[in-house]
Amino acid sequence: MKESLLDIVCCPLDKHDLELEVTEREEGEEGEIIAGTLTCTDCGETYPIEDGIPNLLPPDMRE
Amino acid sequence: MPEGDDEADATESAGSAGSTESKDTRDALAERRGLDAPVYEPAEDSGLLASAAVEHARGVTLEVGTGSGWVAEQVRREGDATRVLGSDVNPHACRRARDRGVEAVRVDLLAAFRDGALDTVLFNPPYLPTDPDNEWDDWQEVALSGGESGRKLIEPFLDDLPRALAPDGVALLLVSSLTGFADVVEYAVDRGFDAETVAEESYPFETLSILALRHRDHEP
Repeated sequence: MKESLLDIVCCPLDKHDLELEVTEREEGEEGEIIAGTLTCTDCGETYPIEDGIPNLLPPDMRE
Repeated sequence: MPEGDDEADATESAGSAGSTESKDTRDALAERRGLDAPVYEPAEDSGLLASAAVEHARGVTLEVGTGSGWVAEQVRREGDATRVLGSDVNPHACRRARDRGVEAVRVDLLAAFRDGALDTVLFNPPYLPTDPDNEWDDWQEVALSGGESGRKLIEPFLDDLPRALAPDGVALLLVSSLTGFADVVEYAVDRGFDAETVAEESYPFETLSILALRHRDHEP
């Protein structure tokens, strides 16, 4: 995912901002985020980024 | 790991016996569209939505329930959108869309998009009316079934659309005659939208329309 996606997405539960933590990033200045975590700045719920795709399903829909 | 056993779930088809009229229709449509994979493949409805989307999409564009990502890819290549995203609840679909160069996000309808963040929203919803006793319970089911009314996902989508769609934005919603065209229009109008049909095509089982929805109170 591109870092600028944070301008478009929010926490699906309360619509607050998400904070990005990167554990793996593509090389280069504009490198996409391959793995990491998005954390809601209000409720604290965490959403994983895996294989470059953020999973913003609420916890009860993740199976 | 939220999706540890998806591969097994996705290939398992729990087809049940019984032959109501709606199931026959669905099976015929499924066969015509070659639906045996865990991701919805482009079909005639995709082509209709893609051509309308290439014409109308601009700014930040999201295809909800992007499936294989084919429609989003057409818009990215040929349309005037500045950015094209594809969302799906199905992780297989998200990976397919990303492989096509579409920015993929795993989201339920519009739940994780900011207020007014989307200039264009595209949605070819699962719309086949389904007998609750004859559901398949796999990813193909998720891609096709619109519940008993055919509007199980269209209604919550329209409930949240006024929030996520930019004030001067447009949503293109594919509506089948099987789903009840007038009911969908009425539901959208009740949520503050102007509805205009911008494309229409007839097929053996259904007529497909592309409904363009815009905030009624927006002054251009």
